[in-house]
Amino acid sequence: MTTEKRRRTKSERTRLREKTVSFIVLFIICFVWVLPLVYMLGTSFKSELDLQLHPDKLFPSAWSEWTLEHYFGFIVREGKIDNMPLWMLNSLWSTFATVILTVIVDLLTAYAVVFLNFKGKHTFMKFLLLWMAVPGVIGTAPSFALYSQIRNSLSISSGIAGYAYVYTWLIVPGITGIFNMLLMRNFFLSIPKDIVDSAKSDGASNMKIFRRVVCPLAKSTIMLVVLFTFTGSWNSLIWPQLLLTGENSYWNTITVALTGYTGGSGWGATGVAMATSVFALIPIVIVFVVTQNKMIDGLASTGIKA
Amino acid sequence: MEIDISQKIAEQKKRKRQEALLALALVSPFLIVFLLFTFIPFVMGFVFSFMRYNPYMPEQNEFIGLENYINMFNYKNPISKLFWDSFLTMFVFDAVAVPLLIVIPLCLAYLLNLHPPGYKIFRAIIYLPSIVSITIVGIIFGNMFKGDSSGLVNALLGTEIDWLGGRPWAGDTLRWLVMLIASIWWQTGTNFVIFSGALRDVPKSLYEACEMDGAGRWKRILYVTLPNIRMAVTICLFNTLIGYLNLYAQPYVLNTLENEDIFVSPMMFIQTYLMGGLTYAKQTGYLCASAIVFGLIVMAFSILERKVTAKRRKRTRHTELCAGVDADRALLGYEDETVTEVCGNDD
Repeated sequence: MTTEKRRRTKSERTRLREKTVSFIVLFIICFVWVLPLVYMLGTSFKSELDLQLHPDKLFPSAWSEWTLEHYFGFIVREGKIDNMPLWMLNSLWSTFATVILTVIVDLLTAYAVVFLNFKGKHTFMKFLLLWMAVPGVIGTAPSFALYSQIRNSLSISSGIAGYAYVYTWLIVPGITGIFNMLLMRNFFLSIPKDIVDSAKSDGASNMKIFRRVVCPLAKSTIMLVVLFTFTGSWNSLIWPQLLLTGENSYWNTITVALTGYTGGSGWGATGVAMATSVFALIPIVIVFVVTQNKMIDGLASTGIKA
Repeated sequence: MEIDISQKIAEQKKRKRQEALLALALVSPFLIVFLLFTFIPFVMGFVFSFMRYNPYMPEQNEFIGLENYINMFNYKNPISKLFWDSFLTMFVFDAVAVPLLIVIPLCLAYLLNLHPPGYKIFRAIIYLPSIVSITIVGIIFGNMFKGDSSGLVNALLGTEIDWLGGRPWAGDTLRWLVMLIASIWWQTGTNFVIFSGALRDVPKSLYEACEMDGAGRWKRILYVTLPNIRMAVTICLFNTLIGYLNLYAQPYVLNTLENEDIFVSPMMFIQTYLMGGLTYAKQTGYLCASAIVFGLIVMAFSILERKVTAKRRKRTRHTELCAGVDADRALLGYEDETVTEVCGNDD
């Protein structure tokens, strides 16, 4: 039997060519795309001397020039714990608090709006949908003014009370993001009403339906809200910067603290800046690597993200 | 018998009331936080904008009518001049950046949609910068484009170009170019992912029919691809535009000592004055007024977006799943972006 190789049809050949071309182009673009991150990682390992002598290299110029001093130098300085771990802790706990509160609040609100009847439900939803068109900038100035005035009149200055006050204002306004709530609500709308109704007629309480039926179904949407809130909160700059400027530098979140290395009046110190950036990226890259397909698919199918 | 019925009615009423109470309890956390931290400040902003207001000296506050707004539109007022100059500077940048942030992601998404081997990895890599915070972007690009020979680009080229220096309209073109490069690197991901989702959902049969009729690649793109992803393009276009009207972080992290204090966007203006603490606190009323004026300009674009997308949606397909949601939308008399997107992908 002769196993003659079947000739490819014309459209198959075109498809192959298309794939090859797009592979090559995307490969080049992706190579360029990771360069800045590679530069960051490489520079963070350069020794002080190498930073000055070889700024044109992505990585340390010789094996002897690799160093971890920028990493350790900033965690412990002169035998004492330096700012950096504190910044990371501030960012971590405030981000976790935002994420958890957001998910709880969104789940409860969406459940009430979709599965329960109450007066003013439609007004409530209509109002929120309209509110999405209102730019946040209008609220920033008066929010900050109220923040300052309340703080001033209660004479909260520094110490634990000040920290708690600042972080309340940093975390709490962020938990009522309307986009996330609508994401949850839209998912709840897609749950067949029969499931909930049959559970109800079996005598399940709302609490039980919420915990046993709705929440397990909503797992992937919860995941999506967690991802959006986590990256948003970890990277948020404008509002935290407003609250934290002029405060004790120990209170900074890592994203705000890193502004000290940017721009004309930055502290320079390239190696330390890069090492701190690497640190600040770790949590978010972990989240991304673990969930990237879900995150990207979710973003692609929800269409917009504020 | 009669007693039975009235009892049942009473029971039902009670259950309804209980349900409403429960619903109120569930909604209240969201509602209270929203009212306290979003809505009340918003309303107060309008009140403050008619006042001479200082949060640190409440005894000096007084109503001054429209004075803040009159000052706001008085170009001779030095502060207002700063605001409107910054607005113009930003707008020119937006006019270049926003189209690029649509076209580049669209081209990349088209290439990705040809499904070359390993396309999921490509997708992840192109999306990756979007999760990096802007301060880190600033550190990376600031060091790459440093003005002296210690920057990566200058070292590679062997030059000493002052990339980030210069003042607006006076030799800072290179700074805007660097900002543009950084913005493209940073923000291509989101639009790119949305476009690739939209491209994936274009029915394959349309392409095949086109191919049968002998239409070439460009014709296919023009008559099949683009009309089918028009919705995604419109939404991304407006969202990117609104995002870039709020430009703040890029100029804040990419500058030199020479130009770091020059406002190049209204957000920068508002943020800097708010961060000024006691020095600028007496300007709070004026700042609220300028935030409202600026906010209304931004809002005009989001209303336009809704108008445009609402018209388009009327012509899009209606699936069974969407029908229920559509009824809900009709009830609200309002178009909600996320609804169609979510159910559009479920069918």
